[in-house]
Amino acid sequence: MSRKMILRVPKFQEPKRMEKSEAQRLWLLLKDAIVEVQHMNASTLSFEELYRSSYSLVIAKRGDILYTGLEEVNNHHTKNLLDKIAQAVDERFLIELNSQWQQYKLQQIMIHDILMYLDRMYVKEPQLKVFDLGMFKWKQNVLIHSQINDRLVRMLLGLIHMERNGEVIDGALMKSLIQMYVDVSLKEKETYKQEFEERFLLATSHFYKSESNLFITNNSCGAYLKKVEIRLIEEEARIKQYLDESTGPKLIKACEDELIANHMQTMIEMETGCRTMIQNDRFNELKLMYRLFQRVENGLVHLKNEFAGYVRNEGHKIVNQPENLKDPNALITSLIEIRNRFEKTLSQSFANNRDFINSVNTAFESFLNENDKLSESLALFIDKKLRGGFKDSNDQEIDVIMNKVILLFRFLSDKDVFKKFYEHYLAKRLLSGRSFSEDLERTMISKFKQECGNQFTSKMEGMFTDMRLSKDALDGFKNYLQTSVEMGKLPKIDMSVRVLTQGFWPTFPPHSCTLPPLLSQYCDLFTKYYCHAHTGRRIIWQTNIGTAEVTFRLPKKTHVLALSTYQMLIMLLFNDAEKLSLKQMAAGTSISFMDIQRSVKPLYSGKYKVLKRTPAVEKSKELSENDIFELNLNLKCKLHRIKFAATSQTDSEPERQHTRQRVDEDRKIEIDAAIVRIMKSRKALIHNDLIVECTKQLSSRFVPQTSMIKKRIENLIEREYLERFPDDRRRYRYLA
Amino acid sequence: LTLFELENNLFDFEIIIHENAKTDKKTSFFCHRAILSCRSEYFKGLFRSNMKEYQEGKVELTGIPIKIMKVVLTYIYSGNITITQENAIEILIFAKKFCFEELASFCTIFIKEN
Repeated sequence: MSRKMILRVPKFQEPKRMEKSEAQRLWLLLKDAIVEVQHMNASTLSFEELYRSSYSLVIAKRGDILYTGLEEVNNHHTKNLLDKIAQAVDERFLIELNSQWQQYKLQQIMIHDILMYLDRMYVKEPQLKVFDLGMFKWKQNVLIHSQINDRLVRMLLGLIHMERNGEVIDGALMKSLIQMYVDVSLKEKETYKQEFEERFLLATSHFYKSESNLFITNNSCGAYLKKVEIRLIEEEARIKQYLDESTGPKLIKACEDELIANHMQTMIEMETGCRTMIQNDRFNELKLMYRLFQRVENGLVHLKNEFAGYVRNEGHKIVNQPENLKDPNALITSLIEIRNRFEKTLSQSFANNRDFINSVNTAFESFLNENDKLSESLALFIDKKLRGGFKDSNDQEIDVIMNKVILLFRFLSDKDVFKKFYEHYLAKRLLSGRSFSEDLERTMISKFKQECGNQFTSKMEGMFTDMRLSKDALDGFKNYLQTSVEMGKLPKIDMSVRVLTQGFWPTFPPHSCTLPPLLSQYCDLFTKYYCHAHTGRRIIWQTNIGTAEVTFRLPKKTHVLALSTYQMLIMLLFNDAEKLSLKQMAAGTSISFMDIQRSVKPLYSGKYKVLKRTPAVEKSKELSENDIFELNLNLKCKLHRIKFAATSQTDSEPERQHTRQRVDEDRKIEIDAAIVRIMKSRKALIHNDLIVECTKQLSSRFVPQTSMIKKRIENLIEREYLERFPDDRRRYRYLA
Repeated sequence: LTLFELENNLFDFEIIIHENAKTDKKTSFFCHRAILSCRSEYFKGLFRSNMKEYQEGKVELTGIPIKIMKVVLTYIYSGNITITQENAIEILIFAKKFCFEELASFCTIFIKEN
């Protein structure tokens, strides 16, 4: 059995029942001491004695005497102080109040220390702790007394007003007095909030309302922004200097409301405002505006919308400018310019804010697709650059331009249209040997590849492969000719052929023409050679994109003319005739009349005129079938070799139409493929969902029209890839 | 008590224990204000008050058993206390009276466990 442990309890001395008189004696002792403390004569008192007295009273359950007594003494004391303070005049008032308050606070700490045991053992909620009781009495009898409170707040606010107007005030005094409101608050700084903060915030709003209204009407927006920033910094400092930190957010909010939020619209619209700043690239002012607007709710939305609106407007102007519509080069150059400009604004002023970037991009998307010619213009722009426009740029500059091109390209919704045009011009560059550098071509293509994937560039890469293979084939052909038997019978001509894989290259509208017998013999030879080397292939001759050099013998001089195949044919006709009408030319070469027109034009209207129109008529006049031309034997030209544009730089309308048509054809196939892909994985789908899904899948390449998708669905149903549900006509099922 | 001894000559306060009010026998303990203040609100208040004790650098306490004072002083300097069944209640009373928060809670726990 375990022995129970017993605590040794010391002889418990039952506190002798304290006589009332004894209790009264102790209280009087303490009271005297408290009064001494209140008169700042504490140094002669014995802390131990006082503590022991209060301890004894509490132990003897006489805490009540002590507590109520303390309350009375405090009450009396604070009322005396009130009179003293209220008598002080003007500036003395604040100083007197402050010094009395500082002393009072110290006294209360001391009293609390003496009565510590009372505080711990006797005081129960809702009674106030000893120190709080002191604070409460001060508040009740001094601070919120009608003779003090209003006067104090008015003076404090007056001082703050003075400081805002640039005068120097006593920050430490302010801090102490304002802190007093916090100290006397029992919970959650309620006195501070009710008596001081509220009125302070009101005064602040009032002050800044009138100041901002006045300032903004008399100054520029930039100056106003600077002013606001300074004001906000000042207020931040004010919080640190003498306000309670809980006021910080409220004060700043009040200032922001008055200084920024209420004037946002004005700052955007005013003459020197946001619009002008964006127009004139005032990056620093915009940056400041961004920083300030960021502080208020929805501030950035306003700024962003304004900026995006401006971007859209500028872009719209450029895209629709008549000069730009005619000159794709200028159009793209100016687009790149504004893009650069806005990128600078974004990075310098708007901290590259995601939302801002996105809205600028959306703006670009919208105006770039406003005009369906943009895809073509962009392709033409690159064409020009790659034909030699890069000659004067170094690698870095080229790279920058290419990246910008890709950037614009990214905004195009009809990427397939662009692709078609790009392929078209690429083909022309390669075939006419006008490409400036194969390396650059490949860099450009690899950039597209990065952007859109393999599929996008596979044809372009195929073209390059063809070019290489053609060279090999041509070398082989030349060797073949030397060993060939027939060779001996034919006069030598230098013919070069390019073999193009169908499918990689844009299809050129088929044209026929009659080649001179010598040439067609050579063509036959090549066909023979090539089909022998690669069995199972068929060759179709595309004469309309070829070039030729013709020796032009004049009585005094000999020139070499670089011409297109058609032009060569026409010029050859003049070997047998002096004068020819267009009709006759067409008959002699079996080239379509329109091609004749286009081919002849540079020959008689360019800088060097090898043909004369007889009788001479105005240049501008349209050509007609019966116009007659003869050779210009008086041609004056220093150059030995004269180059003529094969065809006019921009494509003719039918050719463009043709490209568009092909784009549409391709789109049909793409849509079909997308629909089948979707249906294959989903098996059954409602009409609308199918359309949505389909649009989503294709959006990286182009934006399909709903009507087109509908047509394709119908078509697929006819071809029995899909069927409608018999009970729900809006649903489709995939037929494997 | 090494720390206590080390700081021997830096004492700035004297506690005089008057064990029995009827005799004149007094015992002095020397210690440091800073350390006392940390352990006890009572001493903190006493030093803050700027009253007689602060100025004279000593305080006279009556009715405290010397052996309790010794244990408590050890605690004040080392943070360790040996509470036994004999002294638990007395230490508690002392701790309560002079506001040694931590010490009082030690005693309470000890008493509850026994």
